[in-house]
Amino acid sequence: MDILDRYLQAIGEYLPAASKDDTLAELRVNLLAMIEDREEQLGRRLTEDELVEIIRNHGRPIVVASRYRPQQSLIGPEVFPFYLLALRRSLPWVILFSVFAQVVNLVFQTHGRVNIGAVIGAAIGHLPGTLFAFWGVMTAVFVGIEWACRHNGTSIAQPWNPRDLPRVEKSRGKVPSLASGIADLIVSAVMLLWLLAIPTRPFLILGPGVDYLKNQQIGFTPQWHTFYWQIIGLLVAQLVLKAIMIGIRRFGTWRKVLDLVVHALGLGILAVMVRAQIYFVPAQGFKSLPHETLAALNQAIYLGFRVALLIATLKLIWDVVVFVRDTWVGLRATSRVVV
Amino acid sequence: MDTIFQTDPLQSELFDSLRLELRRGCLILAVLAQLREEHYGYTLRKALADHGLAIEESTLYPLLRRLETQGLLTSEWREEEKRNKRFYRLSPLGRRILDQLLAEWNGINDSLHRILGSQAASAVESQPELTGHQE
Repeated sequence: MDILDRYLQAIGEYLPAASKDDTLAELRVNLLAMIEDREEQLGRRLTEDELVEIIRNHGRPIVVASRYRPQQSLIGPEVFPFYLLALRRSLPWVILFSVFAQVVNLVFQTHGRVNIGAVIGAAIGHLPGTLFAFWGVMTAVFVGIEWACRHNGTSIAQPWNPRDLPRVEKSRGKVPSLASGIADLIVSAVMLLWLLAIPTRPFLILGPGVDYLKNQQIGFTPQWHTFYWQIIGLLVAQLVLKAIMIGIRRFGTWRKVLDLVVHALGLGILAVMVRAQIYFVPAQGFKSLPHETLAALNQAIYLGFRVALLIATLKLIWDVVVFVRDTWVGLRATSRVVV
Repeated sequence: MDTIFQTDPLQSELFDSLRLELRRGCLILAVLAQLREEHYGYTLRKALADHGLAIEESTLYPLLRRLETQGLLTSEWREEEKRNKRFYRLSPLGRRILDQLLAEWNGINDSLHRILGSQAASAVESQPELTGHQE
């Protein structure tokens, strides 16, 4: 029965070595019994076509073999919502960084005479690759989390109590969920790791543009060392506060205060960048440098950070005003109830 | 109208998926119940089919392995009719679990009958011409 042997051999290619022989022996017996049963019903030996039909109905070798394996998924149903949230939350930042890197790259290549069409084209052209790489990194991180949870028998989601849910607040907008908080924390941690890796792996920020930077005899300003660590410090503080916020969700007011502090720290990061003013300088030992390009680039980045700082400041002021107003309204309502 | 729905591939796909979900748990119950008597793969499949519960080989055989790994079945290789076969039987744990599952299944079945019964009664009440209570 050549066709049966070939079928079993094909299934065996996809089976784990430990149980392969045992599984194939059992499959052989069952298939032979089925064939003999059919032959008994017909009162004759099966033709090759009939044999082929039985084997075809039994299923494709890879599909049959896969059913003998435990169900495997890189990211399980418990971790998956956090993974999805983290991707959604970080997507705008990735796009922003990617576009920024492309603009910087193009400014260097064209010595400041940037064509807006070329910028848009480059940004769009490089975006799929960047997004794909980012998706890969995030997936690897969450696969690691899934693996750690499975091996330690722990869960990414802490036990929860419905009493910890925030009160219904109509005027204060949507309160982030626990899953959203955890996803935010993971994104912040990945971002911090990314920033920490940049000094030794500068391609992480500019991609292949780093080579161009070297050829152009320009480099990061020496001030980078100062404001780089200030930014790292602020990000670490943000990370700690975000972790604390996840733990104290039940205390609405305190959580909101922490939320404001986290936003203020974000403002601090932008302020550090604005204060720096000069981001790129001629590399040491070189005199003939594209000064206009550098000045235009520094000015563009500086303006970008100033606009971002202005928007973030206005947003923070608005948040503080809303918080003070709501707290005041809440206190008055409480005092009325007490009276 | 019914004809249109019956030929709708989307509805058919949905039905197949829900049917599969509904059958999945029942098949485990049926396999455990059938294995109160010893069987090897092929005769088990035939016994289930004889009772009206046809199940694909590619579903049944891996299921037997999984149930054995979970400790619900025991198995042994033994010669029968000049051929080595792997015979499965319900383990003591499997027996206890089967009793619990059967109780659960009976409970679900009773509840479903009560729900369907009460709905049928309300449907009859809402159509007085059928009950003869026309005013």
